[in-house]
Amino acid sequence: MTVRILVVDDHPVVRHGLRTLLGGHPEWEIIDEAADGVEAVDKADRLKPDVVVLDITMPKMSGLEACRLIRKRVPASEILIVTQHDSPHMMREALEAGARGYVVKSNASRDLLAAVEAVSRHLPFRALNEQSVDSV
Amino acid sequence: MKLRILIADDHEVVRRGLCALLQAREGWEICAEAKDGREAVEKAAQLKPDVVILDVGMPNLNGLAATRQLTQLDPHCKVIVLTITDSDQVIREALDAGARGFVLKSDAARDLVSAVEALQRNRMFFTPRVNDMVLAGFLDRGHHGSSGEPPRLPKLTSREREVIQLLAEGKSSKEVACVLNLSTKTAETHRSNIMRKLGFHSIRDLVVYAVKNNIIQVQMPSQLQNPTEGSAA
Repeated sequence: MTVRILVVDDHPVVRHGLRTLLGGHPEWEIIDEAADGVEAVDKADRLKPDVVVLDITMPKMSGLEACRLIRKRVPASEILIVTQHDSPHMMREALEAGARGYVVKSNASRDLLAAVEAVSRHLPFRALNEQSVDSV
Repeated sequence: MKLRILIADDHEVVRRGLCALLQAREGWEICAEAKDGREAVEKAAQLKPDVVILDVGMPNLNGLAATRQLTQLDPHCKVIVLTITDSDQVIREALDAGARGFVLKSDAARDLVSAVEALQRNRMFFTPRVNDMVLAGFLDRGHHGSSGEPPRLPKLTSREREVIQLLAEGKSSKEVACVLNLSTKTAETHRSNIMRKLGFHSIRDLVVYAVKNNIIQVQMPSQLQNPTEGSAA
């Protein structure tokens, strides 16, 4: 069954990159993009994606706030945070906000596909860099 | 003949986006990718690309230092600097380093193709804010000679800037020596020359200097919501 994905990041060039990385999978479909948290909540509400790939640092509304609202309004959608914040503290906040997965942007090419695969099956996926994990 | 482009950014997801953006253009090809400034300089020296696109905030050697090295090696090297901020200082340093194009990362999807096209035609490409700054500087010099110039940073060599970045990233003198292929003693000499020139007594001072002068960039976990710029991608 096709996994319908909403890609959310404020930088178009990053959205292009995420599309390229995710686009190779035959059973995944990028149904839309959003450039901030408000747009993400609105589109998730309307389109009911299976997975929302969500940045944290964005204008208008942060990804964490958007995550909380999406979880409330569209509980069936799973949220995968893809962020520059390589921090256990931030990962904890994201999971508390309702995210199922957490990937650091610098590792996206290594972790993104496995993470989408996992969260689309409602399984957790959490990955930080080794040194950050050591500092927990 | 195809226009050969080298792309350098430490985030592969950004490189993928840049590649997708530029490869769609007929007659352009990405001849190489690099994940930091040092790799970009090495690959550019080897492959002689027509255009080099460099992110500013990269580990080991930042994009501004890499631009300086590339234009020193080849004054005709066409570099586009990609940045998350168009602060006066970054603009000034990019121009000083010899960049011919300046594009904000947030506007890359809109401006990057135009920037590469401009450089292909031996022209320059700057954001409106950079254009304003260049024009203001030109007019200011015309009216006031050099008295209107902004204060200059202490004169540091390219090598010293490289050493500052590596030390500020937490590397020891021994590690700096290893990265730059120097003896530990030479690395330590660079370190003490830097501290003397800048009047610093601790590495902490050096880290603060490196952050303030965009030699390294730090992520700010508190800035989850950024109404002006967005994330550092």
